[in-house]
Amino acid sequence: MSRHFLEGGSIGLHRFALFTSFCTAFLIFVGGLVTSTESGLSVPDWPLSYGMFFPPMVGGIFYEHGHRMVATFVGLLTVILTVWTCMTEKRAWVRWLSVAAFIAVVTQGILGGLTVIYLLPTAISMTHACLAQTFFCLVVSLALFTSPGWKNGLPSVTDNSAGIGLPALCGLTTAAIYLQLILGALMRHTDSGLAIPDFPLAFGRIIPPFNSPNIAIHFAHRLGATIVTGAIIWTFSRIAREFRNYRGLFRPAFAMFSLVFVQLTLGALTVLTAKSVIPTTAHVATGAIILGTSLVLTLRAFAMSGREWKPGAKRERDSAKPKPKGAAIRYMITARERAWR
Amino acid sequence: MPKRLVFVCSSILVLALAAACGGGDTSGLPPAPAGSAAGGAGTFDMSKATATVSGKIAFEGAVPAPAKIQMSADPFCAQSATPETSVSEEIKVSDGGLENVIVYVKAAPAGLTFATPAEPKVINQKGCHYTPHVFTMMVNQPLEVQNSDMTLHNIHVWAVTNTPVNIGQAVQGMKNNVKLDKEEIPVPIRCDVHRWMNSFTGVFSHPFHTVSGGGGSYELKLPPGTYEIVAWHEKLGMKSQMVVVADNDKKDLGFSFAAGATAD
Repeated sequence: MSRHFLEGGSIGLHRFALFTSFCTAFLIFVGGLVTSTESGLSVPDWPLSYGMFFPPMVGGIFYEHGHRMVATFVGLLTVILTVWTCMTEKRAWVRWLSVAAFIAVVTQGILGGLTVIYLLPTAISMTHACLAQTFFCLVVSLALFTSPGWKNGLPSVTDNSAGIGLPALCGLTTAAIYLQLILGALMRHTDSGLAIPDFPLAFGRIIPPFNSPNIAIHFAHRLGATIVTGAIIWTFSRIAREFRNYRGLFRPAFAMFSLVFVQLTLGALTVLTAKSVIPTTAHVATGAIILGTSLVLTLRAFAMSGREWKPGAKRERDSAKPKPKGAAIRYMITARERAWR
Repeated sequence: MPKRLVFVCSSILVLALAAACGGGDTSGLPPAPAGSAAGGAGTFDMSKATATVSGKIAFEGAVPAPAKIQMSADPFCAQSATPETSVSEEIKVSDGGLENVIVYVKAAPAGLTFATPAEPKVINQKGCHYTPHVFTMMVNQPLEVQNSDMTLHNIHVWAVTNTPVNIGQAVQGMKNNVKLDKEEIPVPIRCDVHRWMNSFTGVFSHPFHTVSGGGGSYELKLPPGTYEIVAWHEKLGMKSQMVVVADNDKKDLGFSFAAGATAD
């Protein structure tokens, strides 16, 4: 592979990063299937499976070994993505980000093995689940940072809001989603998914009796869902009101807004169907997709407000300009932005 | 430095001499603990357990139809299924009696120690089905797990007090020994490859335990004393009763479980 090809393939690198992101989302779905079907220990050895590279794909082995195969494929994609990025990317921080993705995927593989060897200890299983989301965020970020839209520069906007700034709002929403996914992982790996067996009430009440830690974990996840939904509605309504014409913000915000209702439905179905495999697994995967979407939105919001993390880069935001009175938010549209729109 | 070398060498020599000279018949092994397979002085003589407590575990209410097991996840299992193996054994009722109930003495008489049987308890995986479904054993009694199927199984002992075990048996004819060295009731045993395969055991520090068989009948041989007899079922929970027995007594002690109850 010549260097010329690699350099000429920067759009290729973006597409490859995008492909890796899709494969990672699929891997999270497959990982969710392993937990939903309780197949995590159907292959008792690691790194081999029953001492083989490819055991008969029967029963729970189909899910557990299938997860290992998809994970190996994603690991391979990450190695290629890291090498490709390090060879062609001029921005050092993007190169370091790809190295972080590589370290994350290796650690994730080892954690997966430890989960099997130590028979699903909650701490390791939870770390495995949370690192999966972190790794997904890393590859989604890489796909975004290598995209032509990002590299050519996003439209610059000035946030003159008297209240919380859009980047901060998006950042808080992303953080809330991430915390909610950690709570979800805790719920799955402590077997608290049906600790509250009814929905939308909890034991026929709004606040359930906290007779066990499992009920507390489950209720915390429901409370988290309410907070996340509120944060997403707030973020979307803010963008729909002020940034409807900025497709780079509106599209992910709309996707996130739509998906959160799908996610709430899946969460309800998970309880009402007593953790039926498909809604339970789809709930995990949709959570990851919402996180990825919110992350893209947050990074774009930071970049467009001139707050992109770029060591040594000049901030595009013109903070010296006086804030217009009577308007909460005004955005200064540049010529480049108009072209982008 | 030379002093340290002399000390290390002489220590090794002393240890080697101790190992070579000590032990006699036991060849340096530690003495058999009370209740070990070797038995010996101090262990309870089971011939002194002359009282008999027996009875029937009755099942009240309509007997549910055994749930059909879907085995299509593994073609071998689907092909080798028989009418006996393709239904759930969760609630097995015959002649109005509930089978697969572990009946045991909650606390053995104080001060007694018991010999652990040397012969292993055997659990076999045949037709993607565990035989037996429920069994009891003593602490440190060997548990032999066999795979008679031409498919893979994993034996996952979901112990809490004991160390959990997860072993793969990829080949027909494989045998593995599992050791459970602490009292624990119940210990679920499951195959994660074939989720319908499950079994339960009770691990006891004494020999006063059994599993109800056909017609829900059971029998315990006990030394004279006052006992709390416990009956445990995987789905229907636990019940207990007190009983007082003298030498050669024969006491009838029935239990009954109602349909729809759930285990604790």
